[in-house]
Amino acid sequence: MKKVLVIFIVLVAMTGLMFAGGAKEAADDKITIVVMPKLVGIPYFNASEKGALQAGKDLGIEVIYTGPTTADAAEQVKMLEDLISKGVDVIAVAPNDAAALTPVLMKAKKAGIVVFDWDTPADPSVVDISVHQIDDRGFGEHMWDLLVEEMGPSGEYAIVTGGLSAANLNTWIDFGLEYAKKTYPNLKLVTDRVPTDEKQQVAYQKTLDLIKAYPNLKGIIGVSTPAPLGAAQAVQEKGKKDSIAVVGSSLPTDSGPYLEDGSLRVGTLWDPAKLGYLTVVLAYNYLNGTKPYDGQEIANVGNITVWEDNRTVIMGPPADFTKDNYASYGF
Amino acid sequence: MQSKIKKLFSSKEGILLIIFILIFITMSLLSPNKFLSNYNIQSLAYQLPEFGILSLSMMLIIMTGGINLSLTFTATLSMIVGGLAMSSYFTATNMPFVSVVIGVFVMLAVSIVLGMFNGFIVSYIGVTPMIATLGAATLFEGISLNITKGGAISGFPLMFLNIGNSAIFGIPVPMIIFIVVLIFMRILLEKSKMGAAIIMIGCNPKVAEFSGIKVKKILFQTYMIAGFLAGMAGIIMASRYNSAKESYGSSYLLQSVAASVLGGTSISGGEGKVLGTLLATMILQIISSGLNIFGLNRYLTNVLMGFILILVLAINYIAEQLKKKK
Repeated sequence: MKKVLVIFIVLVAMTGLMFAGGAKEAADDKITIVVMPKLVGIPYFNASEKGALQAGKDLGIEVIYTGPTTADAAEQVKMLEDLISKGVDVIAVAPNDAAALTPVLMKAKKAGIVVFDWDTPADPSVVDISVHQIDDRGFGEHMWDLLVEEMGPSGEYAIVTGGLSAANLNTWIDFGLEYAKKTYPNLKLVTDRVPTDEKQQVAYQKTLDLIKAYPNLKGIIGVSTPAPLGAAQAVQEKGKKDSIAVVGSSLPTDSGPYLEDGSLRVGTLWDPAKLGYLTVVLAYNYLNGTKPYDGQEIANVGNITVWEDNRTVIMGPPADFTKDNYASYGF
Repeated sequence: MQSKIKKLFSSKEGILLIIFILIFITMSLLSPNKFLSNYNIQSLAYQLPEFGILSLSMMLIIMTGGINLSLTFTATLSMIVGGLAMSSYFTATNMPFVSVVIGVFVMLAVSIVLGMFNGFIVSYIGVTPMIATLGAATLFEGISLNITKGGAISGFPLMFLNIGNSAIFGIPVPMIIFIVVLIFMRILLEKSKMGAAIIMIGCNPKVAEFSGIKVKKILFQTYMIAGFLAGMAGIIMASRYNSAKESYGSSYLLQSVAASVLGGTSISGGEGKVLGTLLATMILQIISSGLNIFGLNRYLTNVLMGFILILVLAINYIAEQLKKKK
């Protein structure tokens, strides 16, 4: 009886593994590009997966899009080590923590693998090409341009941000404020940037307070993806959607209802699918000896910008989401 | 000879060993020049120790009938405090060796203190382990975040990286640390008086108390040792990742519970084998790495791991029942 049981277990385990791994082991001569997000299973990175896989199909190469199920840098390191064993041609990674990945990326380079980062920069000393979604200065200025388009070049406005310690949000706001001082001198910021813990609910509460405290408020910029939604919710509830213009960085699908009723005038962000696509195309070109150059046109993406260091690539201007076009984006 | 083989088949460890060998052979056959490559075997040997040591720490607590939900945060808080001490001493004096010694010492000291904290709450105050360590997890994470402000502590001397990334006579240093820990645990649990006491407490704390065991003291010491082991894992991780951050290894928390239980540790306490936990971590490790090499979707990997875990537990249960019938 026991023997039968043991044999049974073993058979089940074996079939499980066969089914899991037997199907595909890449032919060695085929180009294999790994694109690793911070984590899998969230809308943003699902969208970039689509783009990356599409690029693989268009170019006829194998693209592996894989990452940890939680945003854990340790898990990323382990997965990268396994992928180095597998022997791939390019690793493009969005690190959960730049410092933690440096040793493993060094190992990858030693094994002759080309290393890219995308979405979030890794340690620049180990990266061959760094693919950025956006130019931080351009994005900051763009948000202020959108605000002025909606509320006019003069009047009171406020900034609702995700958090005071988030480096990328602060950079955008700093560039935007600097730009506003020169270009739109009649805009008046009523109070310091308001932090909202990356939560829509908090952004909603704080915006209610702002509306009460500053009755002449004409505009709100929401920075971080939940912030504009919370602000729009408050403006909608107070019936102020015609007198207060809300703009900011938000995901198109989530923004849908607020764009529809006009409480959110326009949202802006980059398209993560394009970012995934671009990363794979650049990796493929790099293997074929073509480095990215300034103004290069990438099919399905557009013209890219390359910095003077010859390895920092900027995908391009942000995409604006309005009532008419938000439904066409899948994230 | 035959009886020996029979014994192997009928023990939990024997079944685990057979499963390990079969999975290893299957993976090797499916991918002879990748899974079985020298490079991959090396990389497995570097990956296993941190997970293995954390699993042993978890096993120790589960054997007393508790659980340690603050395990990974104990490791990360000690590596953050130690890392901070190391990097600031290094920038101040530029003496790599002394800084590494200070860093390692602080990491271990902090981990022992955190273990004692847990032990004190559980044994002397008498809070249920699950609640006590859940609170401790939040506390440790909070302190870590306050120190790092959400970033990572880095700037360690290059010498420190050797702990996690170099080899002596071809054996990776983390593996050597792991082997030492294994021997220590084996002696502690299977040869020492304290080990016997831990098993008795896990089976029935009241009976243990009446038979003259100082339950509170032993529990306190057990948590302290578990904290120390977490600190060892923390040193390896900090060195392998060249930095310290509160979220490192957070995925190990439940995996270490899985490894302990898969290895035959009874979740209600009183039973557990070092060899079983070792084999279980090895099984989970090669499945995870193997499926990664095959490029399987990470979610499917989780599904398969869960499936194997439940399968082995079911088999253990059935085997137990059959034994009772005889």
